[in-house]
Amino acid sequence: MHKLSIFLAATAALALVSGTAGAQGYPERSITMVVPFAAGGPTDTVTRLVAESMSKDLGQQIIVENVGGAGGTLGASQVAKAEPDGYTLLLHHIGMATSATLYRKLPYDTMNAFEYVGLVTDVPMTIVAKKDFEPTDMKGLIEYVKANADKVSLANAGIGAASHLCGMLFMSEIKTPLVTVPYKGTGPAMTDLLGGQVDLMCDQTTNTTKQIKGGTIKAYAVTSAKRLDALPDLPTVAESGLPGMQVGIWHGIYAPKGTPAEVTQKLSASLQKALKDPNVVARFAELGTVPVTDAEATPEGLKSKLESEVTRWKPVIEAAGQYAD
Amino acid sequence: MKSLSFSMRDLICGLLFIAVGLFFAIQAYGLELGTAFRMGPGYFPLVLAGILVLLGIIVIIQGTQLEHEPMGPIAWRGLLFILPAPIFFGLTVRGLGFVPSLFLTGLLAAFASTRMRPGTALLLVGGLTLFSVIVFSYALGLPFRRFGPWLGL
Amino acid sequence: MDLLSNLALGFATAASPWNLLFCLTGVLLGTLIGVLPGIGATATIAMLLPITFQLEPVSSLIMLAGIYYGAQYGGSTTAILINMPGESSSAVTAIDGYQMARRGRAGAALAIAAIGSFFAGTVSTVLVAVFAPPLTAIALQFGSAEYFSLMIVGLVSSIALAHGSVVKALGMVVLGLLLGLVGTDIYTGTPRFNLGILELSDGLNFVALAVGVFGIAEILRNLENEHERDVMIKKVTNLWPTREDWKQMTAPILRGTAIGSALGILPGGGAILASFASYTVEKRISNSPGEFGKGAIAGVAGPESANNAGAQTSFIPMLTLGIPANPVMALMIGAMIIQGIVPGPNVATEQPALFWGIIASMWIGNLMLILLNLPLIGLWVKLLTIPYYMLFPAIIAFCSIGVYSVNSNVFDLYAVAFFGLMGYGLAKLRCEPAPLLLGFVLGPLLEEHLRRAMIMSRGDPTTFLTRPISLILLLLAVGVLVVVLLPSIRKKRDEVFVED
Repeated sequence: MHKLSIFLAATAALALVSGTAGAQGYPERSITMVVPFAAGGPTDTVTRLVAESMSKDLGQQIIVENVGGAGGTLGASQVAKAEPDGYTLLLHHIGMATSATLYRKLPYDTMNAFEYVGLVTDVPMTIVAKKDFEPTDMKGLIEYVKANADKVSLANAGIGAASHLCGMLFMSEIKTPLVTVPYKGTGPAMTDLLGGQVDLMCDQTTNTTKQIKGGTIKAYAVTSAKRLDALPDLPTVAESGLPGMQVGIWHGIYAPKGTPAEVTQKLSASLQKALKDPNVVARFAELGTVPVTDAEATPEGLKSKLESEVTRWKPVIEAAGQYAD
Repeated sequence: MKSLSFSMRDLICGLLFIAVGLFFAIQAYGLELGTAFRMGPGYFPLVLAGILVLLGIIVIIQGTQLEHEPMGPIAWRGLLFILPAPIFFGLTVRGLGFVPSLFLTGLLAAFASTRMRPGTALLLVGGLTLFSVIVFSYALGLPFRRFGPWLGL
Repeated sequence: MDLLSNLALGFATAASPWNLLFCLTGVLLGTLIGVLPGIGATATIAMLLPITFQLEPVSSLIMLAGIYYGAQYGGSTTAILINMPGESSSAVTAIDGYQMARRGRAGAALAIAAIGSFFAGTVSTVLVAVFAPPLTAIALQFGSAEYFSLMIVGLVSSIALAHGSVVKALGMVVLGLLLGLVGTDIYTGTPRFNLGILELSDGLNFVALAVGVFGIAEILRNLENEHERDVMIKKVTNLWPTREDWKQMTAPILRGTAIGSALGILPGGGAILASFASYTVEKRISNSPGEFGKGAIAGVAGPESANNAGAQTSFIPMLTLGIPANPVMALMIGAMIIQGIVPGPNVATEQPALFWGIIASMWIGNLMLILLNLPLIGLWVKLLTIPYYMLFPAIIAFCSIGVYSVNSNVFDLYAVAFFGLMGYGLAKLRCEPAPLLLGFVLGPLLEEHLRRAMIMSRGDPTTFLTRPISLILLLLAVGVLVVVLLPSIRKKRDEVFVED
């Protein structure tokens, strides 16, 4: 579909809330937080949960604006070009780091176009397959996939999507190229996995937890360091002999370069509060993820994460020879 | 009378199809075509563009056989005032703000009709603007600036 | 009886005074925003979604569902009254609905649309309640090969949308398909046909295209010869459907409901075809196919029923699998997640009150809509008595606001002007916009499924013939092609003879 919806409307109810706020200095008016993906997706969900909680703390409404397209780079470049006044922010995921390599002609310089607010959460991935896929555990899966490399198809939600990155990592870890099948988003990819049209996918717990629990798909491993509370029976990749598969879809909040440090600090403090909001914690848990620590929810935490992740993914993407432009 | 005459309408239509088809074909040709197994971004459009060119040719050929009717008048005044209206709105909604921009857009469109008198137009467009501001700006809370920075407000 | 107790729970939930109020609010808001020219269901939901975040989960979803149906009704209303569809489904309604309105039968057209939609809504709600899980299982049998073949059926049938030259209609379909490919290739991320314009990287905006080629082009046509012919209004004859109308609309409504229900279940974009498919069927089996495009009652009743049935059954994949079948469902799922409900296969067992409450509210919403809309018909028809030269500036203004508010994208407004010019030009060339629009929505899907099916089959094109459902669909396409082409060949021969 076309880039749809930008949720422009602040409601009458919200207007009341913001009307009564008498905050000194920043923020004096509503803040726009750009999500570079479509509404209703996992990143959008994370953003809305955090934005709602931060709005309460800041006393100004944070309006979530979906600027989807071009693997998240369209939204990112829009924020990179925005006024650095703290009223336009970006919540982007790991794609911020990978697009630096995936796109050879980015309209912004990943490392120098933004100020940092903080990390938000690190969503683990799960390696899942259609319900009646033969292998029963991770070890069996690797053997099976290696033996049937030309028959197994691996779904992903499009170039640069979490499932695409995880799939690339999986193929590079087991040193076996598979037939990859791109989809336009997670929904259709999951539909085909449920219907047994494709065999494998590696996707965020935000998309897979409910399906795994419902028994409609088969799960082999989770890419986090520890087992998840939501899926206690699912082994980690390290337990299954693929420690290099440890990967998370981390989310961070950015501001345009030149945004004053007081503003990013204030936002960072507000983010840390939001990440302790019981409602946010509970919702995150339902999605199979946890908020990051206070130390990570800082400008420094996000900056170092971005730097190390750009370095990490460069060789993986280059080895796969997959570019998005 | 069954002489071999071209229908102006079909000739233009066919040429248009051919031109658009060629445009897409040239563009698609610059893209990777891929194989049938893993089609590239140019494969499918190239096939479609070819079909469109073919259809264009058929339309022209058919146009030589059927009876023709005149093209009819062209709404020049309409084209002159209607088409710029949304463009004007787009250019000014951020700068002038929602209220003046919408008012002028409506006014511009109104003059597309020869029947419209200036007084009626002002009244009509004024009411229209008022209605829109109440519905979109106040009731729905769409974040348009009512009066924009160009007005120094 | 499990079903009865479930439905009882559902109605108990949905009929609580608060939820009824939210349902009504949703239906009202949806209708009011949806009835503005150029604003369809998706745009309306996107605009109104934030309002629902403050509510209880059940109430919020009930209200959203209400907005959705309301906006669809509203969209049909503008399609009929001023030839301005805000969504692909109402584009079909515009073909004959608008012609009915021009003949002074706007009231009947609106009533037929409302009655057809209500009937289809009732039937498909029952379907959702009773058969959701088994229907889901069938829908999952559809892989890319099947979808591709289904789209081919859709494309072949689209020829019936035209009432002029078949070749031109085909050309418009292909042109639409090509326009639909503008943007970014999802398989490689390669930008294509975007002329270097960043705003085009996600493709052309459907609303801009529809408003341009239908609405703006129609306004321009009405402005030709303004002094010589009285634009639009013919004296509005009877407001309500006559006995004869009732007779003519019954069968199309039944068929439309069946077609829409079946296609709506498919999560890969089946519902898009519902109204187009119904129109084709009606035109083919009609005794007077010449009426179509000039205000045929079946051309309104069938597609409107199909459209509403498809809208209801497209809830099935969402409720049973947690998978969005269309952009509206994606928004609904987003809203559910915000509310702390992660849609998935277990929603029905984990949240029975929510699940059955939504199903019950679908029917209640449809009931409210018909109660709301039938009296409103009088008002809408009155709108048509406003002189056209006073009406169209308002249409232009609302279109501009509507198109702009969806994406806050100025470029979309330029696109409206461009497509308005294009639509007017094409109309002058006797090329009709409906096939173009169908091609436009199908283009990306057709390519996506074709390429994916080929990847899945490792490059073996016989996959379309060896998969049984796909084969059946392709045979159906061939059948439709033969049926469609035969009369036109015969007609051509007749003409040749006449000329000789």
